[in-house]
Amino acid sequence: MGSQKNVYFTITASIIGFMVAIQFQTVSEPVVRDTRDTWELRNDLMSEKEIESELLQEIQTFEDTLAKYEDEREQSKGKLLKETLNELKNEAGMTDVSGPGITLTIRPIINEIGREVQMAYISPSLLQRLLNELNMYGAKYVSIDEQRVISTTVIRDIGTVTKIDGHSLNRLPIVIKVITEDEEKAERLFKRMEISPVVEDFNMDSLKVELSNPEENITIPGYKDPIRIRYMEPADNGVGGDG
Amino acid sequence: MWLPLMGLIIGVIIGLLTDIRIPAEYSNYLSIAILAALDTLFGGIRAQLQNIYDEKVFVSGFFFNILLAASLAFLGVHLGVDLYLAAVFAFGVRLFQNIAVIRRILLTKWTSSGEK
Repeated sequence: MGSQKNVYFTITASIIGFMVAIQFQTVSEPVVRDTRDTWELRNDLMSEKEIESELLQEIQTFEDTLAKYEDEREQSKGKLLKETLNELKNEAGMTDVSGPGITLTIRPIINEIGREVQMAYISPSLLQRLLNELNMYGAKYVSIDEQRVISTTVIRDIGTVTKIDGHSLNRLPIVIKVITEDEEKAERLFKRMEISPVVEDFNMDSLKVELSNPEENITIPGYKDPIRIRYMEPADNGVGGDG
Repeated sequence: MWLPLMGLIIGVIIGLLTDIRIPAEYSNYLSIAILAALDTLFGGIRAQLQNIYDEKVFVSGFFFNILLAASLAFLGVHLGVDLYLAAVFAFGVRLFQNIAVIRRILLTKWTSSGEK
């Protein structure tokens, strides 16, 4: 074995030994004994908890951001449309509304003998007059016997029964709910109706109209059936409308 | 014959005395480098016993194998594939083969010397 060979082998071996020693030291980290006392442990626990709460806060912030983004996305796409749709539905009378107003109850008159006159017939023209009167004096939303009155509502005689949008009005008493813009207007409407000649007209048909005092909250149901429009088409811009 | 062993021991002692530590994430590279170096060393011993030893091959093989193994491990880490396992496998197999050859050669030498 030549000496030069041996030198090489020795150098190589020493390099290997060096590397092995380093690796050994790196892998076998000395075990540090935990010598902290209760208070130190408490302090450490406190600081760890602080870190935890900070992290939780961070998570909260990110979740908020996420929610905001999702909200924004929904807003940008659908919310405007939804709002418009709701507005239109509201305007068309498809939604339940509540607000200040009065209720009118139509009952049969009790005659002198003390018996109710059995006449459950309200003529459509009378009802229409009452409606006109109500609308004139500030009624915003009206329902007759839980039937919402909308712009396409028809009140007419079918056979011998007065019907409102296909709903028969043959069972007295009939409750008419009216919602106005605000309580002041409800008050005004109430006073107007108290002296209204229409109420007298009801008397002629052996019916009486009981007015309730203005209430703060009356709920009127939305129109339930789909609204069918057959003879209507959009007007051209600037021709039919005022645009 | 004793000189390489002495070198090994000296290297270990120096390493322990200098108290050098490398970061834990690099210990992979070092371990594979050690494996490569050991492979080269045993390859060298075998070549020596088979009388086909070449200095240039030995020295170049030593450093080249170490670098190759480390770079393979590096590549593996960055590709997300445990490529260093390939190096471990290759070097491990070669290590065993070399040692087996060395053992056989030594055995034949020993038996032949015993017959004499």
